[in-house]
Amino acid sequence: PGLASNSCTTEDRREMQLMWSNVWSAQFTGRRLAIAQAVFKDLFAHVPAAVDLFKNVNGENVDSNAFKAHCIRVVNGLDSAIGLLSDPSTLNEQLSHLATQHKARSGVSKAGFAAIAQSFLRVMPQVASCFNPDAWSRCFNRITEGMTDGLPA
Amino acid sequence: MKSLIAFVCLVAAVNYCCADHVCGPLQRLKVKRQWAEAYGCGNRREEFGHFIWAQVFKEAPAARDMFKRVRGDNIYTPAFRAHATRVLGGLDMCVALLDEEPVLNTQLAHLAGQHSTRGVEAAHYETFEHCVMLGIEHEIGSEVFDQDAWKPCLKVITGGIQG
Repeated sequence: PGLASNSCTTEDRREMQLMWSNVWSAQFTGRRLAIAQAVFKDLFAHVPAAVDLFKNVNGENVDSNAFKAHCIRVVNGLDSAIGLLSDPSTLNEQLSHLATQHKARSGVSKAGFAAIAQSFLRVMPQVASCFNPDAWSRCFNRITEGMTDGLPA
Repeated sequence: MKSLIAFVCLVAAVNYCCADHVCGPLQRLKVKRQWAEAYGCGNRREEFGHFIWAQVFKEAPAARDMFKRVRGDNIYTPAFRAHATRVLGGLDMCVALLDEEPVLNTQLAHLAGQHSTRGVEAAHYETFEHCVMLGIEHEIGSEVFDQDAWKPCLKVITGGIQG
């Protein structure tokens, strides 16, 4: 691939892992919830219809315990995938597991993932210093491509 | 005689205090800190997971049968590594929520639902707790590993998953 390629390179991967580990460690009380909720609040503000997809985790009330726990699960899934960027064969297994979990949810689409990708791009620079949107996007897309395999557009 | 009684009472009190460790607010902070250090990020996590599961199957070889779907027969495969990633990711969520109790309890109930049909016995959870502690100690060193904090706090988590 040439220099303008859209692939998540080893350098991109390292950069993403560094940006991420500085904001998401288990030791930071409250930080995870704040970030995870901010992403979903942003998503719902831009795609109001998406709220309906999260009915069984109380999506109408983003401050409920059920939805907070859901937010944590989703962003924790991203955290695992970011960690696995160092081991592509295991990452692929994990992404196909996540793809199966999402295929079981009707209404979840590739466009939905594109929307939440934009939400991350708006939220992350607010919390991570020295955020690199290009490296982040290339590797974020590497992850969502695997997760959305088999989903409707 | 009085001083002997006082001494006996003191010993009893000390034993009582230390045989009855609790996962209090301070222990939760310590566990979060030590977990973050051990769990790390990126590549090192896989070694951490591998260490824990190698230990689990050494202590309980029959437990491999519970993980047939994810290649429990060979923990070196990507399928099993991905499984180990999910388990540690789940544990990471619980540890991170130790100081957000209402959300922690919601998450534990979610995990309880995922485990209720899998036939996991109390002894299995004990093996897992023990191996996780070995893994933490292995990563952060025996000089600083706080077993009195880890034991009761891991119990809070596995107790919640057992429902």
